[in-house]
Amino acid sequence: MVDFDRRDFLKATGGTVGASLLAGCTGNSSGSDGTKVGMVYATGGLGDGSFNDQAQQGLIKAKEELGIAYEESQPENNSEFASMQQQYAQNGSFDLVNCIGFAQKEALQANAKEFPEQKWTIIDESVDQDNVASYRFREETGSYLVGKMAGMLTQRDFSAGAGATTQGTNTVGFVGGIESPLIKKFEAGFQAGVKSVDDSIEMLSSYVGSFNDPAAGQSQARSMYNSGADIIYHASGATGVGVFRAAQDLGKFAIGVDRAQSVTQPDFADVILASMVKRVDTAIFNSIKAVVDDNFKGGTTTRLGLNDNGVEVAYGDQLGSEIPQDVKDALSQARESIIAGDISVPTQPQ
Amino acid sequence: MNDDSPRATTESQPRWRRTLSRLVDASAKERMVISVAALVLAVAVGFVIVVLAGLAATCATKATVLGVPTPLCYDPVAVYHELFLGAIGHPLSGNWTPLHFRMAVTLQNATLLVFTGLAVAVSFRAGMFNIGVQGQMVLGALAAALATIHLGGVAPSGVLGTLVLVPVGVLAGAVAGGLWGALPGALKAYADANEVITTIMLNFVAANFAYVVVSSWFTPPDSSLVQTANIPTAAYIPTVPFAFQPRDSFSLLGLLFAVALVVGVAYLLARTVFGYDLRASGEQPEAAAYGGVSEKQTMVASMTLSGALGGVGGAVLVMMVQGRWLANLPQLGFDGITVSILAGNNPLGVGFAALLFGVLKSGSAAIGFGTDVPPSLVDVLRGLVILFVAMPEFFRMIGASLGVGGDVDA
Repeated sequence: MVDFDRRDFLKATGGTVGASLLAGCTGNSSGSDGTKVGMVYATGGLGDGSFNDQAQQGLIKAKEELGIAYEESQPENNSEFASMQQQYAQNGSFDLVNCIGFAQKEALQANAKEFPEQKWTIIDESVDQDNVASYRFREETGSYLVGKMAGMLTQRDFSAGAGATTQGTNTVGFVGGIESPLIKKFEAGFQAGVKSVDDSIEMLSSYVGSFNDPAAGQSQARSMYNSGADIIYHASGATGVGVFRAAQDLGKFAIGVDRAQSVTQPDFADVILASMVKRVDTAIFNSIKAVVDDNFKGGTTTRLGLNDNGVEVAYGDQLGSEIPQDVKDALSQARESIIAGDISVPTQPQ
Repeated sequence: MNDDSPRATTESQPRWRRTLSRLVDASAKERMVISVAALVLAVAVGFVIVVLAGLAATCATKATVLGVPTPLCYDPVAVYHELFLGAIGHPLSGNWTPLHFRMAVTLQNATLLVFTGLAVAVSFRAGMFNIGVQGQMVLGALAAALATIHLGGVAPSGVLGTLVLVPVGVLAGAVAGGLWGALPGALKAYADANEVITTIMLNFVAANFAYVVVSSWFTPPDSSLVQTANIPTAAYIPTVPFAFQPRDSFSLLGLLFAVALVVGVAYLLARTVFGYDLRASGEQPEAAAYGGVSEKQTMVASMTLSGALGGVGGAVLVMMVQGRWLANLPQLGFDGITVSILAGNNPLGVGFAALLFGVLKSGSAAIGFGTDVPPSLVDVLRGLVILFVAMPEFFRMIGASLGVGGDVDA
C-alpha cells in the first residue's frame, strides 16, 4: 500500500504546494506590478535560435523592465494550440495571452469569441476581434535587402570565414519552412532583391514542409549548393540549422532569419553573412507594455517595417566586417528607398 | 519421479527463464501490484532526475520545496503534484468539480487513445504487428472530414443532420482506415511481405498522400496552413447538456462510443467465431491452420479490423476535437502501440491504459503551465512512468511467446 502513502503524503503537502503556486500566481516577486502574461509559442519551440527565442526576448525584457510575471507553453503540433490558449483563458488571471505564429489564427478566432474578457495578441496574422491585437511585419522589405546582398556577392569571387562564392555560378537559393503566404513574403522579397541586381541571376527555391526538421533542411540545402548556389537564405525556424550545416560542409554561405543567427548559433558564425532580423521581441514587448499602460490595441493590426526597426539586416558577427563596403552602401541606399516608397517590394514570388 | 513436477522443471531452468515464467504466471492481482510498484518506482527515479536537473540548471529564483528553501531550480514535489493531480484539475484545492477544463483534456486524450490502442491490440492478438495505425488514422480522419464537408451541403442542419453526418463520418473513417490496413494484410498473406516494414512505410505514404491531396484540392484559398475547410456544425459529435462545454473539444458521447467499442471488441475476441480464429492464428498459427482456420483470410480480416478502428479514431479526432483535417496530426497511432502493450493487448485493459496515458498527457501540459520545468524534462518523466509500467507486461508478452511458464492462456 505504498500508493496510499504517497497520496496521503501529497494530501498533507498539497496545501503548502498550492499556497506556493498561488504565491507565484499573484506575482510576489520584487518590482512586480501584478500584470501577468501568458505565452503560447509556435511549434518548433524554444531553443530554435530563431522565431520563438526572439519572441521570448520580448517577454524577458518586459519582465525586467515592467516587472510583469509570465507563464509559457510550447505546443508540439498544430492541434494543441486551441487547448493551450484555453488553459490561460480558463485560468482567468492572465491579463494578456500572446499567441506566436500564424498557425494559431484559427484556434484564436474561436477562443477570442469564447473568452471575450480575455485580451490576446497574435503575431504574424490578423484576427478581427475587439479583444485581439494583431502584429505583423513587412518581412519582404528586409528580405529584399539580404536578397540584394546575395545577388551582388554571387556575381563576384568573395571568400570569408569558412565560405566562398565563385563568380561564374550566378545562383542563390531560398529554403522555406512550411509553404504559406507568410513565408512566401520572405521568398518574394529575397527574389526581388536578387533580381534588382541582375535579372539573369538564378534563384533556386524549396520548402521543407516543417519548421523543425534540420535534417531535411540540410539535405535540401546541400542539393542547392551542389547545383551552384553560393548563398542560401532560409526562413524556416529550427530547420535552418541544417542549412547552416550544409553551408559549412560545402564551404558556402548562408543568411539567417528572425534573430542575428551568427550570435545565437555561434557554431555557424563562419558561414552566416547576415541575418534578416524580425523584431518579434519588439512586438511582444510593445503589446505587453500597451496592456500595462492600459492602452491595449484590440481590434487593430500593427505593421512593423524597416522604418520602425520592425525588420532589419544584422551583418554576421564574424563575417560582417569582411563584406565589401559597396555592398553595404547599396543596402543602406535600398533601405532608404524602400522607406521613402521609391521601391515597392512584392509580397508574392514572381 | 520428481522430474515430472512443474516445480522441479522450473528449478532446472536458467534464471532469466524462471523470472520470465514468474511474470507470465502472475495472477491479475499480482500484476496490479507489479504495476503500482512500477509506478511508484518510476516516480522515485523521476524525482531524482528532477532534483539533479534542478541542480544543474541555472535560474533566477530557487525553488522552495515544501516550504524549505533549496538550491534546486525545479521543485520535484510540485512537478509530480501537477503530473498526476493537474490532469484532473487539482481535486484537493477546493471548488473542484469533475467537469473541469483539465478533466476534459484528460478524457479527450484517453478517448482518442482507446481507438488507436484497440486497433493495435486487435492486430497483436492476431499475431500481426500493425505499426501503421498512425497512417490508418490519418486517412480515416481525412475521409471523415471530406465526407462530412461534402455531405454537409445536402444534409439537414440541427439534430437531424447530426444523426446523419456523425455516423457517415465514422463510417467513412472506418472504411478508409480499414482499406489502408487491409493493404499490408494482403501483402503479407499473398506476397509474404513483412507487415512491420510495410505498415511503417505506409505511414509515410499516408501522411504525404493526405498532405498533397489536401494542399492541392481542399485547402481554402485564404488559409495559411495545410488543412481542409471546417466540417459542418452538425457533424460535430454533440456534447451532453450540463456536462462539458463545446469549447472543451470533448464529448461524453465520444467517450461512451469508445467504451462501447472496448466492450464490443472484447466480446468479439472472446465470444465469437471470428475472434476465436483471430486469437488462434495469433497464438498457435499451425494449430489454427490445422483446425480449419484460413490463415490468409484471417490475416487480411484482422488487419482490416485493426485499420478500421484506427480510422474511426481519426474520424473522432476530426469530429470531436479538430473540426477539420490538419497537417501533422498528433501521434496517436504510435502512442496506441504503447497503450496496447501496457494493456497486455487486452481490450478491457486498453481502456485503463488509455486513461493513464490521458492523465500523463494532460498532466504534462499542466506541468508546463504551473512550473518552470522544460518540456523535454517532462517528456522524460512521462516516458519513465510508461516504461516502468509497460516493461513487466512487455516481458510477459515475450515470455508468453517463448512458451515460458505453465499457463500460456493466462
